[in-house]
Formats: sequence, C-alpha cells, structure tokens
Amino acid sequence: MFAFFSSPTTQTVLSALNEGFVRTLELFFITLVGAVPLGLLIALGSMNRWAPLHRFARPKQSKALRAVLNFRPVSAICRLLVWIIRGTPLVLQIITLFYVPGLEHLFNWPSGESGRMMAVCIAFIINYACYFSEIYRGGIQGVPVGQQEAGLVLGMTRSQIFFKVTLLQMIKRIVPPMSNEVITLVKDTSLARVIALQEIIWMGESFMKGNRGISGLVWPLFFTAVYYLVFSGVVTLLLGRLEKKLEFFR
Amino acid sequence: MMKKLLALTMAVLMVLSLAACGNQNDAQPTDAAVQTDAAPTDGTEAPAESDLAYVQGKGTLVVGITDFAPMDYQDDNGEWIGFDADMAKAFAEDLGVDVSFQEINWDNKVMELNSKNVDCLWNGMTLTDEVTSSMACSTPYSTNAQVLVVPADKAADFEGLTTLEGLSIAVESGSAGQAAAEALGATTVPVQSQANTLMEVSAGTSDAAVIDLLMAGAMIGEGTSYANLTYTMNLNTMQGEADEVYGVGFRTGSDLVDAYNNFWDAALASGLAMETATTYGVQESIIQ
Repeated sequence: MFAFFSSPTTQTVLSALNEGFVRTLELFFITLVGAVPLGLLIALGSMNRWAPLHRFARPKQSKALRAVLNFRPVSAICRLLVWIIRGTPLVLQIITLFYVPGLEHLFNWPSGESGRMMAVCIAFIINYACYFSEIYRGGIQGVPVGQQEAGLVLGMTRSQIFFKVTLLQMIKRIVPPMSNEVITLVKDTSLARVIALQEIIWMGESFMKGNRGISGLVWPLFFTAVYYLVFSGVVTLLLGRLEKKLEFFR
Repeated sequence: MMKKLLALTMAVLMVLSLAACGNQNDAQPTDAAVQTDAAPTDGTEAPAESDLAYVQGKGTLVVGITDFAPMDYQDDNGEWIGFDADMAKAFAEDLGVDVSFQEINWDNKVMELNSKNVDCLWNGMTLTDEVTSSMACSTPYSTNAQVLVVPADKAADFEGLTTLEGLSIAVESGSAGQAAAEALGATTVPVQSQANTLMEVSAGTSDAAVIDLLMAGAMIGEGTSYANLTYTMNLNTMQGEADEVYGVGFRTGSDLVDAYNNFWDAALASGLAMETATTYGVQESIIQ
C-alpha cells in the first residue's frame, strides 16, 4: 500500500489530479460567489409587481385587454430566463456560451485556459442563480404575511421590513434546499470538461489515453471519487453547522 | 422604494453586461470589428480576410491537440513535444508567430476551429471524408492504420477473420476506426475516446476495439492497465484498402493551408521533417 503511494507514477498521477481538483474548487467557489447574490436579484425580479400600464386598467374592460394592461415586464423577463435556463441541459448551455460567440463572429473568448474557465464560470453562475432564485422565492413567500404587517405596525420602512424581517427569516428556511443544490454543484463541475476545461475528471480520464508520459491507466478516473467524497463531506458538515447556528425563533 | 431599487439594479446589471461584451470586442479591436461587419452569417464560415494575416496579427498560432503520444504529448517539464508538436513549433517560427498548444475535446474540433478558439488541428488527424468536408486540410504527411484490439487470451479466435459481423466493437465516436469497423459489418459501440474503447474491451462489455496503430502501440501491453490486451489485425488490409493518412486541419478557405504546404515541402527538402520523425520513431510512416 505504501509502496503504491510512494511510486513515481502514483506521485505524478496525484499531482495531476490535485491540479485538476484546484480548478474544480475554483469553479465551485466562483459559481457560489456569483450565483448566490444573482439568484436573489432574479428572485426579486420574478416577484416584481411593476406593471407600467396598470393605471389604465378598469374592472369593466375585457379579460384580454386587462391581461395586457396588467402585464409585468420585469417579472416576465425573469421568469422567461428561469424557464430557459432550467429547461435546457447545463452541458448545452456551456457549449453554447463558449462556441456560439466565435461561430457567429460576435466576440472571441481569451485564448487558452483562462477563456475556457471564464465561459464555464459564467454558464454555471447563470444556471445556478436560476435554481437559487426559485428557492429564494419559496423562502420569501413562505414567511407569513403577519410578519410584514407587524413590521408596518412598528413603523418600519419597506426596506427595513424586507432586510430585517423577511430576508432574515427566509435565510434559515432555505438552508436545507440550498445545501442540496450546493452538493449537486460539487459534482456538476465535472460537466466543464465538455469544453476541455481540465478539471479533475478530465485529469482522471487523461491517464487512460496518455498524460505526462503515462498512458493506459484506469484507476485515476475512479480515484477521483475520493476527492469528491471528501469535499462534499466537508461541505455537508459546514452546511449542517450553519443550519444549527440559524436555529433561532424557535 | 423596493421597486425603484430593483429597477435601478436591473438597469445597472444590463449596462454591465453590455459593457462586458464591449470589453471583449476592445480586446481584439481589428478582427472583431472586421468580422462583425464583413462576415456573412450564412454559415459558410469562409474567412472574410486572410487567415494568415489574422494569425500574424494576433502573434500566436493556437494549435488544437489532445495528448496523443508520439504526436503531441508533454515532457517532464510540462512542455508539449512529439512529432506534430515539434513541426507545429517550426511552422509557427516560419510564420514569425508564437505557438500555443490548447488541449481540446476532440468531439468538438470543428467548432473549436470555426469559433477561432484554435487556429489549426494538428494531432495525428486521419483525413476521413468527414474531416475533409468540414475543414481545409493540408497535403498528407504520414500514414496510419486501424487495428483491432482484443483480449490477449482470445487473440486466437480472431485470427484470419474476414468480417466482423456479429461482434460488438467499441470505437471512438466519429473516428476513422468506427467507419472501418462498420464497413466490415460490426455492430459498433461508439464511446467518447479511443482510451474508453479499451476500457470496454477490458471490462468485457465489448468484444474488441478499433483504434489507431500508433496509439495501440503506446496504450496497451506491459506496464499499462491493459497488459491483458493485444492488437491483431490491420483493418485497412482486411478491407483491401490503402492505409489512411494524417493531415493538418485549418478553417475552410484558409490561406494557412498553402503556407503549411510550402513549409512542409521545405522541411522535407532540408531534412528537418525526417530528423524530427526519427526522434519520435515515426520515420517509417512519413510520406515523402
């Protein structure tokens, strides 16, 4: 066992896997940092009630006309975005975002690894923000209306009510479903290899065909499972701790 | 209050996203502007300007590769070497530009090329009809054959076969090996890479695999995870056909093809090509 781990081949493979895993982690954290706030923005957008023509709506008008007058553009755009992103495979979104700009002569991604990482990060942030937004929406709408009414009675402003009453209680409600998405994200990062981002699965597979002078090795691919298990284990523990910390109001 | 705040943030977000696009264009002012103005979006992919001028303008030739010894692979310092890699370096020097090697997903090679994420495909690429119809190809520089990889203990069963009918054969999706196996009547199991075909055979989920001769030499036998596999027949001979050839792929209509062909003729004449080939043990396959 020790001989196996100290052999030069194993050392080379592990250093390549580590390198791939660093990229996986990079993608994971950038996605979270980008998607958590963007998700809130999309959630607020899809709950936005702004209807520019609402003032012209009268009870006696026909149903069709009233539907037009009560149209909520911000909400409609956000819901359309969520529908498109949740309704298509992430892998297709990554391919589209990376190749279509060049194919249609819109712009070129920076050459090399950085351009691929940038494209994949943007695809992941948009995708996960849409999933997060629906969780946020559920959390916000799950806070009893009485809480907001109580805030009004106490003379709080609408923004005070949102940040100090609704959002505060929403956060603790959404931790379990968010944990689910975050764990999924750990593993979804492997989709990035479709545009040749050399994350850990790419590295694991590379030794079958040949990488760093080693070829025909199968075990590195299966060994990547260890990295995922350890990492998702750590994430699970941290999220569990967060959930405990938020056990107030009870 | 909230509405206004939201409207403001959305507006800022939109402006930012537009600005981001703008920056991308700024990064490559000349070609982005020319392309959007001049290039028709009818999917013909014909470069509106000289591809050679484009590459020389940005100063780097981006070569799309996969790790494929002995054509493109990394030495101990992580530098790309191999017959193709060394010739690509010489070609870039000839053009007066830097060379940069980009590992790609081989399934997406045509998209990589047309979206200008790479400038050429130089990776022991067999010139199949599919390849020659989707890109501009150089004159062939090397020969190759497709071989049948089988479990060593069953090799005798495959001796002297004239057809692959009734066998399930793992092949790389879209590869020359797939075409050869299907021409010989096999039921093919297309997988993602040539490496994955070997796993199929090793795990017993396919009867045999068809891969490139050059790869088979490097990937199976002693010292690999596939010591129990061996390769037997040349499928090209089996079909009574000539061996396949390797070429370099460029964007359709690219003038880099002529630049490369001139470079290759000069490299053959000066002895550089054969010298490099001898370094990597592929001198037998080079087309003179």
